Amino acid sequence: MTHVLVVEDDMATAREIEAALQDHGFEVTLAHDGREGILKAISSPFDLIVLDRMLPQVDGLGVLTAIRAAGNATPVLVLSALGTLDERVRGLQAGGDDYLTKPFEFIELTARLDALIRRGQVQRPVQQSNELKVGDLVIDQVRRTVQRGERKITLLPREYALLHYLAEHADQVVTRTMLFEAVWDYAYDERTNVIEVHIGRLRKKLESDGESALLHTIRGSGYVLRAS
Amino acid sequence: MSSVRLSEIPRTSGFRTGLLFLLLFGASFLGLFGYTYWKTAIYLKQEVDANLHRQIDSRSAQSPEVRLQEMTRHAEQDREGRVPHTLFAPDGKVLAGALQAMPAAPALDKPDEFRWDKPTGGHRPIRFIKHALSDGNILVVAQDVYDIHEFDELLVQALASGGALLLLVGLFGAVWLGNATRLRLNSLSAAIKRIVEGDLSRRLPIKGSLDDIDRIATVVNGMLDELERLMSEVKGVCDDIAHDLRTPLTRLIAGLERAQRRGLDEREHAQVIDSAMADAKGLLSTFRALLRISEIEDSVRRSHFAPVDLNRIGEDAVEFFEPLAEERGIRVRLIGSQEAAVISGDPQLLFDATCNLLDNAIKFSPDQSVITVEVVRANKTVALIVTDEGPGIPEAEREAVFRRLYRSESSRHTVGNGLGLSMVAAVARLHELALEVSDANPGCIITIKGRELAH
Repeated sequence: MTHVLVVEDDMATAREIEAALQDHGFEVTLAHDGREGILKAISSPFDLIVLDRMLPQVDGLGVLTAIRAAGNATPVLVLSALGTLDERVRGLQAGGDDYLTKPFEFIELTARLDALIRRGQVQRPVQQSNELKVGDLVIDQVRRTVQRGERKITLLPREYALLHYLAEHADQVVTRTMLFEAVWDYAYDERTNVIEVHIGRLRKKLESDGESALLHTIRGSGYVLRAS
Repeated sequence: MSSVRLSEIPRTSGFRTGLLFLLLFGASFLGLFGYTYWKTAIYLKQEVDANLHRQIDSRSAQSPEVRLQEMTRHAEQDREGRVPHTLFAPDGKVLAGALQAMPAAPALDKPDEFRWDKPTGGHRPIRFIKHALSDGNILVVAQDVYDIHEFDELLVQALASGGALLLLVGLFGAVWLGNATRLRLNSLSAAIKRIVEGDLSRRLPIKGSLDDIDRIATVVNGMLDELERLMSEVKGVCDDIAHDLRTPLTRLIAGLERAQRRGLDEREHAQVIDSAMADAKGLLSTFRALLRISEIEDSVRRSHFAPVDLNRIGEDAVEFFEPLAEERGIRVRLIGSQEAAVISGDPQLLFDATCNLLDNAIKFSPDQSVITVEVVRANKTVALIVTDEGPGIPEAEREAVFRRLYRSESSRHTVGNGLGLSMVAAVARLHELALEVSDANPGCIITIKGRELAH
């Protein structure tokens, strides 16, 4: 079971995060200030750390620096009410693996945590195959071709990039924000409806008449590529 | 300005500068005049002495008889006693000449002066040289130097009165300058005081002479313009925020209260929660957009600027929006410039701004129309132009549309928070780009243009 340390000083928020993560199937440990966060992070192993940016005692970035200095490489997602781009860059530079601005939707949090875990696991087995497979969908990463069963699918470069990211995170919820950040070279700016249209186009190409659904929309603002 | 405090004058910079110049001018006046006086006086005396020496030479060369004869004749001719040369016997008896007695002199052949009491009455200053002649007689050559003394005196008087005049005029000048400075500063500080008290429309007075105070006042006035704009914007924004946030908040609370009041079934509960969440998210997105704009307006961001090709920005934005437009049969046309159109900027912000323009264009375009995004590079100027075939923006609203939270009557019922164009305006301001709205008849043309980055 995935064990997550949540360092968050606001009790109500901490409890909501705990509930959401438990619903998602994670085991949660809470810490309410920076010092407690450092102690817990160092004393026992966690799979993930969710760290608030502004904390009493030791500030979030201080906690991050301390954990990293202690040789702990646990993936850290930084939560912050400070949404500016500069803050974001600072958070990532201090050793954070991802950055999420408050307020956020829980689907966004869990999707990003899933991605972080996955990233940690993918690093171990070096990719042996040129192909990514999801059900009967085959993506040739070298030739950049896509095939579903016997049917060849022609994609525009951006559609290929979208599909590739979704396939890399197959069976995992990916939010529009994550897609935008990964596929377009720009940071997220609420234009979810546009992403939706791009996904709609891609879906039309992936699922022609009679074929089973492959690209599913998740209530809220996410998608998942999954063989049904 | 009401309290005219003259005691302030000596402390003003004008007065002090005036005084300093008076001092400098006085010193150079004294130096110049003193030198002239000294040179003139010495010159005149030297002339007299040279003349006396010439007399001695010519008299010495004569035989004693001729000398006596000529000197007697000279004394008869010089009745005024202007040049009273006199010949004395070794015992001091007058042989010929006007002087009654041998003047006392410390040495022979050295010029000296004495006061001659004339036998006709009155006395005159006389410069003379005593010379022992070869026949044992003593020759005294002399010249009346009253005129020279008079001239010296006049010169000194002129110096004194000129100096006094200089001092007077200089002092008056300094006071006048000091007073002018004081009045100028009084009017400036009065204006500043009014501004501090809250009259932000007030400006510092400018004389128009482009002097140093004018230049400072011009700069300060520019600062005040910006300050006034910001203040009015803040005020306008506060009013608009109050209005724009209160409306969805009221709706949200009303919905929740209704749910609380009535016994609702599960489906209705879910509906209420959905609409409450939609309202809350709308509020959040408005907040986020507002924060975003104030973040952009922080010019510290300029330090992150890098060369950006507007063609790339245009391409990315068009590519991103093209599917959305296609859903309504709108064609988005991209006309790039032949060469790269590079400016110094933040690609993220420029992309966001272009997206906002495209988003608006799509929102207001009729179905099956064409939107053009054009990148132009000419004469060291680059521009990104978005043209649509929508209703356009009436001339009267062209400035207002860039204000935060402004919604024109025609757009009040479309989706949006009224922040899209003000975000564009903020990005343009940060990049020092000009933002123009014009008419495409029908449609709207929005141009962002600025100076090309020098290679």
